[in-house]
Amino acid sequence: MSVDGKGWVGKAVPRKEEDRLLRGRGKFADDIKLREMLYLRFVRSSYAHANIVSIDTSDAEKIPGVICTLTGSEIASQTQPFIEMAPDPGGKIQDYPLAISKVRYQGEPVAAVMAISPGIADDGAEAVQVEYAALDPVVDAEQALTDASILHEEAGTNKVWGGVFEYGDVEQAFREAASVIEIDRMHFHRFSSTPLENNVVIAQWDPKDERIYYSCNNSFPSFAIQFLAAHLNVHIDRIRVQTSDIGGSFGIKITSYPQMAVCALASKKAGGRPIKWVETRSEHMISSAHGNERTFRDTRVALDKDGVITAITSRHIDDCGAYPRYEPLGCVIWSQVFPGVYRFKNARIDFSQAVTNKCPVGPNRGYSRMQHLWFLERVVDICAHELGIPADEMRLRNYIRPEEFPYTTPNGCIYDSGNYPKMLEVAKQLIGWDAWKKKQAEARKEGRMLGIGIGTTLDSGTNNFGQAQIVNPGAPFSGNSQGANCKLDIYGEVVVAVGSCPQGQGHETTAAQVVADVLNINPDLITVRTGFDTERNVHTGFSGTYASQFAVSGLSAVHGAAQKLKAEMKRLAAFVLKSKEEDLEFGVGGQGPEVRSKSNGKSINYWGMANIVNVNSAVLPVEMHDVTLNCRYIWRAPFKVPDIKRKYGNLTMTYASQLHIAVVEIDRETFIPKILDYVAVDDCGTVINPPIVEGQVYGATAHGIGAALLENCVYDSVGNMLTSTFSDYIPITAMNMPTVKYGHIETPSPHSYSGAKGMGEGGAAPIHTISAALQDALFDKRIFIDDSFNNPDSLFRALKGEIGRADDIVKVERRA
Amino acid sequence: MLAQLGEEAKLLAGGQSLIPLMKLRFANPSHLVDLNFVPGTTYIKEENGALRFGALTRHTEIEKSAIAAGVPIIHDCAAGIADVQIRNRGTIGGSLAEADPSGDWATVLLTQKTELHCLSPRGERMIPLPEFITDAYTTALDHDELVREVVVKVPEKGSGGAYLAFKRSAPVYPTASAAVQLTMEGEVCKDAAIVLGCVGLMPVRAKEAEAALRGRSIDGKALAGAMEAAHAAADPQPDMRGSAEYKRSLVAALVKRAIEVAVQRARGQRVEVSHIYA
Repeated sequence: MSVDGKGWVGKAVPRKEEDRLLRGRGKFADDIKLREMLYLRFVRSSYAHANIVSIDTSDAEKIPGVICTLTGSEIASQTQPFIEMAPDPGGKIQDYPLAISKVRYQGEPVAAVMAISPGIADDGAEAVQVEYAALDPVVDAEQALTDASILHEEAGTNKVWGGVFEYGDVEQAFREAASVIEIDRMHFHRFSSTPLENNVVIAQWDPKDERIYYSCNNSFPSFAIQFLAAHLNVHIDRIRVQTSDIGGSFGIKITSYPQMAVCALASKKAGGRPIKWVETRSEHMISSAHGNERTFRDTRVALDKDGVITAITSRHIDDCGAYPRYEPLGCVIWSQVFPGVYRFKNARIDFSQAVTNKCPVGPNRGYSRMQHLWFLERVVDICAHELGIPADEMRLRNYIRPEEFPYTTPNGCIYDSGNYPKMLEVAKQLIGWDAWKKKQAEARKEGRMLGIGIGTTLDSGTNNFGQAQIVNPGAPFSGNSQGANCKLDIYGEVVVAVGSCPQGQGHETTAAQVVADVLNINPDLITVRTGFDTERNVHTGFSGTYASQFAVSGLSAVHGAAQKLKAEMKRLAAFVLKSKEEDLEFGVGGQGPEVRSKSNGKSINYWGMANIVNVNSAVLPVEMHDVTLNCRYIWRAPFKVPDIKRKYGNLTMTYASQLHIAVVEIDRETFIPKILDYVAVDDCGTVINPPIVEGQVYGATAHGIGAALLENCVYDSVGNMLTSTFSDYIPITAMNMPTVKYGHIETPSPHSYSGAKGMGEGGAAPIHTISAALQDALFDKRIFIDDSFNNPDSLFRALKGEIGRADDIVKVERRA
Repeated sequence: MLAQLGEEAKLLAGGQSLIPLMKLRFANPSHLVDLNFVPGTTYIKEENGALRFGALTRHTEIEKSAIAAGVPIIHDCAAGIADVQIRNRGTIGGSLAEADPSGDWATVLLTQKTELHCLSPRGERMIPLPEFITDAYTTALDHDELVREVVVKVPEKGSGGAYLAFKRSAPVYPTASAAVQLTMEGEVCKDAAIVLGCVGLMPVRAKEAEAALRGRSIDGKALAGAMEAAHAAADPQPDMRGSAEYKRSLVAALVKRAIEVAVQRARGQRVEVSHIYA
């Protein structure tokens, strides 16, 4: 029991993993060195779109120390193309981990060279001769949809998926509207996450047992093994995946399965020697995964006389890069937050996704929802400005109201809880809203460009994989689950194992807090085994660390396993102490953690119980032989399969919310946007560990500010990536960060056992907020922010009248 | 040694340009001659009205040097180069010899009377900085010659300078930078040196901008004239840091601010400036 008797959940328990990580004792995939290990280097395409005429590896193979090479055609003959999640024709796309007859993006792996040192592998890769015949590149999704130049001939089209999401009575809402606002085009840019640690794969295809052993930093290993087993034609049980400490993923490491496949096949060719591939930063930038880029076309918004939005119609075009790897799941995942935080009931979104000659996308933090939430926030701000309604007032008129929770969205999602007006109030207070409004008015008089922006956003967590059936009715998955194991080891130690692979989220600590409360002991007495290992047998097909869910799915599984263990311990203790179960209590006694009888004072400690079950079992009667003190529990989310025809159903369990306010001034001479003040208010329901939550908020805020102002994946017109180093792609650093004022409210979720909601992605609140602040600063110059990426150069061009001209972008029709 | 190893050999000083180039395989020297163990190459001293820097003096040593702080524009530069890690390794001599068009030192030191003392098997020679940098990544150094010492004359009393650069984040090269050194006589600018960085293949000496100030009091009109001249003198390339037109506009704004700080410093005021971030 904790000191105040209220339990460990909710306390600022110091992170268990801190000691190891902060002392530099973390164990990362690249720290692993194996006997006879070879190093793999990819030969990568310099073209964005080209046929491969020939590949000559003979010069590379002559280099002393190069052991072997591998090409796409060798792989194709012994594997199946990766599973495609799209229905036909998108499902006909053939994706192999090395290009076979053509390349489809700059940086696509064409061959691999294995050598006894990384340097020799580099030399070998340079010596591989590839002849290309260039094809027309397509770098724009809308252009791709014209099918003028096709990437995947097997599919016959660049369109991966298309569908209309329509709810309510859109036509009627437009007929009755007091005003209609049209927005021609908006664009959400392509950026990534740049984790500190790049992708790393170590693979061994062991000829002795015909098993494939992986040590890697993939962040959704149970997804990877499903793809790998089918691709490599092996039983899934023959693939063992282990992860250790991971230096960040943000979703980007989910789609490293193609590189994992190459490493296994390379090991097989090298006679079973282990293969290590450590991605360089430039490789990471050009070919790991980027976030989804999205264009919003022909948006029409109907509003009533009070500025309440009654309907939205729009056409959204998503760019998934050269191969749909986690896609087209992004074509439905955005609809988890279909109306955002707003009350409108009528909407029609025509959604399509195209392949382009750019790096494939992966589920980048805020995946697919942030693009849509940014779109909605832009709609709200543009309407507010055009109708002359203050941004805060506009939101209050349109927010879902606190008393409406649980709230069913037009597409059947159930928002568990929230209080958006309260968050706005807290944020306004923290930033000093009225004082800034005054300063803004003064600044405007001096001709200064100072804007105040609000971003309200959602971080939906623990998703219903049944939504995959909305994009592909044949997709054989639904629901969500997570596994955990809780046991007393032979000497009585409490050991917890979970199927997650944390990358800094503090799972060891929060899992220990949960178990500590169940057993009424200190979290220090609990060992938590994190890092994925297929051999621990605690994973389900959804296990991994992604999509803002550990606090719900992971901890529900841990809680379930701990409850199971507790029930067994009670039975056993009641037998040993000759007591009734109701008479027993859990706690810590003179000989450590124990179970004791309240009436007779007798007790048995954990060692005693573990001893009986494991090495002294003759004392147990037969009817107690099912007591193992080793309890595996699989938690399942209470989801139903969505109505595929109507695209209707509950797609996510919890909805954490964020409200940020930024004050930004654009320098009149340098055009540098400077953040003068910044507030982040978070609501993730019941908080399990406050500093861990706060840390996630700061991280997500930095990531979002970086995306809004610094980080942009840029391609030229022929598909050369122009931002392949940190000199050109600028990840945010502490020097760029404003001081963030943090606030929070708690609206406990009725959907999770603890009231907690998944969090961590943060809904990309800073992108919405900074776009809003910049628009507020520029609105009186008739400039609209129509792109999610803005830097001094683009602001300079906007002020020169080259981009963002309101009259080109927005039309307003007032009827009342 | 360089003469023996031939043209493909490279000198290694702080390695903050060469090592990344080798990592990306843009440079592949046959031999590296590491200068880091040569004694007597790291020092900062003031002698006969000049600051003398050993070629291997690290940026961070200059940043923390009380002697170098006597010429504030040098401190502005040293304290703002890249990030702490790079400042701990990178050297003033290496940076000048690399002659990267985006480097900071050349831009700053071209506003000063700067000489490079260079050493080769034929002996030592002195090269004034304007003659030292001949093109982008190209200097007057012979293949078997190296920079031994950088000598900067201390500006006269009543002179003030400032260096301002705009960087998107700490480790990257600036988008544009401006170095200004003004000598004031009361309210009148007696002499001016203005150099623009990252807006040409070499640092750009903005002579018209200097002329706009020389012999005048620094008022709004003079500032506007200098800005306009700097705008015209810049010849930037568009890249991920910004369009050419934006960089021109930015460098003019930086010139204006650097002039304002230089005037204050010429009056003996202590003004702290540092690189500007997005």
